[in-house]
Amino acid sequence: MGHSHVTSADIAIHGDHLDTSKVSKVKSVAFAVAVLGTVASVYLLFFGPEKTRGTYAYSWLFAFYLFFTLSIGGVFWTLLHNVINASWGISVRRVFENLGSTYPWVFLFSLPLFFPQVQQYLYEWMNIHRDAHGSVKEHLHHADHLLYNKHWFMNLPFWYGRGIFYFIGITLVIIGLRRLSTAQDTDPNPGTGRLLRARFHSTYTMVVFALTITFTGFDFLMGLDYKWFSTMWGVYLFAGTALNSMAVIILVTAWLKGRGHLRHVTGPEHFHIMGKLLFAFTVFWAYIAFSQFFLIWYAGITEETSYFLIRNTGNWNTAMIALVFGHFVVPFVVLLQAWLKKNPRTLSFMAAYTLAMHVLDHYLITIPERGISLGNIRPEVFGDIQVAIPGAFWGDLLAFATIGSAFLFFLIRALGQHSLYPNRDPRLLESANLSN
Amino acid sequence: MTTTRKRVYGYLAEFSNASTLYKAAEQVRDAGYRKWDCYSPYPIHGLDAAMGIKRSILPWFVFFGGVAGCATAFALAYTTQVVIYPTVVQAKPANLFTIPAFFPVMFELTILFSGFTVLFGLLGLIQLPRLNHPLFASRQFHRATDDAFFIAIEARDPRFSPEKTRELLAGIGGDNIELVEEDDR
Repeated sequence: MGHSHVTSADIAIHGDHLDTSKVSKVKSVAFAVAVLGTVASVYLLFFGPEKTRGTYAYSWLFAFYLFFTLSIGGVFWTLLHNVINASWGISVRRVFENLGSTYPWVFLFSLPLFFPQVQQYLYEWMNIHRDAHGSVKEHLHHADHLLYNKHWFMNLPFWYGRGIFYFIGITLVIIGLRRLSTAQDTDPNPGTGRLLRARFHSTYTMVVFALTITFTGFDFLMGLDYKWFSTMWGVYLFAGTALNSMAVIILVTAWLKGRGHLRHVTGPEHFHIMGKLLFAFTVFWAYIAFSQFFLIWYAGITEETSYFLIRNTGNWNTAMIALVFGHFVVPFVVLLQAWLKKNPRTLSFMAAYTLAMHVLDHYLITIPERGISLGNIRPEVFGDIQVAIPGAFWGDLLAFATIGSAFLFFLIRALGQHSLYPNRDPRLLESANLSN
Repeated sequence: MTTTRKRVYGYLAEFSNASTLYKAAEQVRDAGYRKWDCYSPYPIHGLDAAMGIKRSILPWFVFFGGVAGCATAFALAYTTQVVIYPTVVQAKPANLFTIPAFFPVMFELTILFSGFTVLFGLLGLIQLPRLNHPLFASRQFHRATDDAFFIAIEARDPRFSPEKTRELLAGIGGDNIELVEEDDR
């Protein structure tokens, strides 16, 4: 405020567009890696030797869900910004929307998980269901009473139906909201109509988001061990989602600012607010992660403790302890400083660090299950139950690189499609002159 | 008849709105004054920068207050439940690895001690509570909680001068400039 008061003369009338020719190199490299990786992955998931098919199914699930959280987090921040009628983030809102718009593309990478050839290694309950000849319920009654009781939720038609809902629901939400926002950029007579409509439609669609993040967590991750359950699972995944999509938003905003975009409309105050959100969700993640652990540890119920027993066996224990310090203690202390949050460079460093911890978090969610499930399902191929399957790590790396570069490609593509900030939003100047 | 001695507190000047107060504050800051303050019915964003106020030391107090709270809770729980009276509950260990059970207490005392440090640290730094303030001697100053904006420059300031300070305040748009005096006992 004061010396650098932004007026409408500072706003780019026709929008602030990313020069796509300057990012085409990164974009085409990401595209090439994604295509080659996808071809290799399809081979490894469906046609490779059985040992690789089994281990790579877990790699794929890990990488898919990791980038899924980042995309759907963009949708979350868009919805939240609209629904609380916020004005601080108008000038960065387009980054939220662009991140969210990668959702349908990233969700396509879940397609292999809908094929029985892949499901057989991941979801043992499906194998038991598919063993039935005739009535599934009758079969479960004798085979596994737990699955009999869970049949109303865990049955194949409902599972596939939910999968379709996850894809269609959030895709419609983000496409609709983004279109509403970008149509304003070229409107010669922009009013407040779109603002009010976006706010209204963000209310009930927030429910769609909540259902999607909770039940994808149940269906894709908690279903890895059908005996295990945690009532905090949905909110635990949500905490990581909100935190790390904000980290991506910070990185993208800092990157755009470094290239001379978003001039006048974003400044240290915006980074300060985003840094505060990063800090807040670091604490929230720790709060939820600890609460989940604490309840399970205290109660000591066999079905529940399996999750932590698996992840505290062998070297996984080191990684879990590293998660406690790396995902909470270190960023908590470092992010306390206000100056650090106002400086795009230092904040970007912390955002990148947080993302690295998110990768570790999701690695520990999905991968420790692999050695146990595969040893259970087909010991003659995968060997006895073991802590980790040697060599399977390279598959994790490949899946991560594949879906990661696809995510990067679609994100850069989305950034290049429209103005980088809503240049005709009625409250843009309020956001540009932010002071907190 | 007794005569009371008066002591000069400083100059009080009124400004018409928040924007002129903000600009005037920048000028007083640039003139090099140290002992002065702005009074407004509501908080004005960025006024601390316009006044040239340095960052408060309070966050550091709070940080160490929180650390002290966390350490107190750990010491309390560890001493009572591990050292003095080890209790085995549901086959949980009674040693350092009982720490998850201590976390809620450690968390709460961190918050409590931080909260206390915020409150009492703040009261100490702004020297509250107090029974009186010299500016209450001014009749127009009562409007500072209603609809008026003021700047007061204290006579304690080394740059204070009866003529030049008055000229400065008049030059930057101050109205109703008043020399506030307090009773000296």
